[in-house]
Amino acid sequence: MSNNTIVENLKREIENFKIQNKAEKIGKVLELFDGIAKVSGLSDIKSSEMVTFSNAKGEQCVGVALNLEEDAVGVIILGDFSKIKEGDEVRATGKILEISVGDSILGRVVNAIGVPMDGKGALKATNAYPIEKVAPGVVTRLSVDQPVATGIKVIDAIIPVGRGQRELIIGDRQTGKTALAIDTILNQKGQNMICVYVSIGQKDSKLRKIEARLEKGGAMAYTIIVSAGASEPASLSYIAPYTGVSIAEYFMDQGKDVLIIYDDLSKHAVAYREISLLLRRPPGREAYPGDVFYLHSRLLERACRRNEKYGGGSITAFPIIETQAGDISAYIPTNVISITDGQIFLETDLFYKGIRPAVNVGSSVSRVGSNAQIKAMKKVAGTLKLDLAQFRELEAFAQFGSDLDDATKRQLERGKRSVEILKQLQYAPIKLQHQVVTMYALTKGYMDDVPIEKIKAFEAGLTEYSENNAKTFYKEIMESKMWTEKGEAELKKVIENYKSSFVK
Amino acid sequence: MTTITNNTIAEAIYLALRDKTHHEQEDIIHRIIDFLSRRRLLSKASLIISQLEKIINKAEGKLSVRVHSAIKLEEKTKISLLHSLKHRYSVKEITLEEVLNQKLLGGVKLEINDEVIDLTLKNRMNKLQEHLIK
Repeated sequence: MSNNTIVENLKREIENFKIQNKAEKIGKVLELFDGIAKVSGLSDIKSSEMVTFSNAKGEQCVGVALNLEEDAVGVIILGDFSKIKEGDEVRATGKILEISVGDSILGRVVNAIGVPMDGKGALKATNAYPIEKVAPGVVTRLSVDQPVATGIKVIDAIIPVGRGQRELIIGDRQTGKTALAIDTILNQKGQNMICVYVSIGQKDSKLRKIEARLEKGGAMAYTIIVSAGASEPASLSYIAPYTGVSIAEYFMDQGKDVLIIYDDLSKHAVAYREISLLLRRPPGREAYPGDVFYLHSRLLERACRRNEKYGGGSITAFPIIETQAGDISAYIPTNVISITDGQIFLETDLFYKGIRPAVNVGSSVSRVGSNAQIKAMKKVAGTLKLDLAQFRELEAFAQFGSDLDDATKRQLERGKRSVEILKQLQYAPIKLQHQVVTMYALTKGYMDDVPIEKIKAFEAGLTEYSENNAKTFYKEIMESKMWTEKGEAELKKVIENYKSSFVK
Repeated sequence: MTTITNNTIAEAIYLALRDKTHHEQEDIIHRIIDFLSRRRLLSKASLIISQLEKIINKAEGKLSVRVHSAIKLEEKTKISLLHSLKHRYSVKEITLEEVLNQKLLGGVKLEINDEVIDLTLKNRMNKLQEHLIK
């Protein structure tokens, strides 16, 4: 481009430039503390409206109005508040806080206001989505009937999760909550699912590890990480989940299925408590404000499955809650348990017994997921939960008596093998068809005489052997989600053949 | 618990002093000062007074406008400014408080309570800069 054209272009731009003179509402910072500003003026501001702070040097910072009082407005500052001074100008924008989204956000790590923080350059934004939105209404929804394959045997078999469901992962620290979530993301490869991982108040080192792990597993191609780190202000932790779900909604609006993980909502509630107390809202139970239930319910209501008429797509949510010493009757855990459609319970005791994932099958439930489970899995895993419950009962009782009848002994042996089968290594998701074969062999009693210490080897061998030899069965499962008599007969033969060679 | 805001105090003072004789007013003012010192609110006195001013202005249909300009305004400009402001805010009387600021380059900037109408050259230049960078 020659100099002349540049000048011409500039000239045209300047000639066409029209300024709109309008009255602006401008406030002044009265007080500033811990990421909160009290602002005077701004008489017709809306609740959750975005405001911009600008100081004498022209540096800008964004905030959100949360408290509207008679003579001042309480604003949370999203970002570095050290540059703001008392007396600085505050402008109302007339807009609810928005984030920029676009397809190029896939594979990126963004902060709580959707700005990339992975050093891979700026986003190519195509749309702006408000972070607070009313959840889709009843007429737009569809009931849950498509499965989410988590690749974790105990979940897929006993606590199945459907697309559009909200399933809580709850447990003490160090029980494998995040591991469960990451495994689920890793297993979504080729499952037509976009994943959003929202990290709230986590250590940056942990986030880095997760990102590296997802990258290694090829999962970053369909994943977005939203991060509000432990060193960032509470205001960012507070809005991060809403940003995450807005990104998820962007993809859902294109008719895609999205999986979102909130890791974790206990820290989110703590951040909100901090903000509320600083804004001088009255504290309630455990010093949480009165609207902490609404905080989570309005977030999780945005998870849904929409019908075709309204564009289809779904958002499946996996909120995570960390309990203290297994106390699930604390305030936040009970709230979130009541909001979600089921929970996966992880226990420290089980974890140290070597049962990993440490899922307590007795107290874990999925309220809507069984409709989404494929028919074949339903058939093989139908009795598993009951068997395991009976096994737990008998196990305690068998410690006292030595003489047991044959039926009880059989049940005990089956139970031990079931527990062994449900153990699974981290980062090793298992395909649904392999799970069906394993569960089939277990529930039909083919493993009853395999020694417990060899169960894992048996399972691994069977998976490989059956995949090569029971092709009809596999084809039937893949295509119609259920086997026919022909396929079943083939599988039975294959298992028997494999077993005879394994025992030898 | 409801907190007492500066606005409510100012409003109470206004109502207490309205339509009273000079003698009565003096007595009331003593009691107001007494009240403020008892409630440890004397430090907020200046804020309360500015709030009181706003209340009185509103009640009497007055408006105070701060005008920032680069050079001193001509009488003719002032009159037309007062006329259009009276029309816009539908008030009887307007007091102009003039502030000279060379950095504005030209034009005027009006501050009416928390509303700002920026018609200065500096603002236009800034907007143009933003537009061109975009």
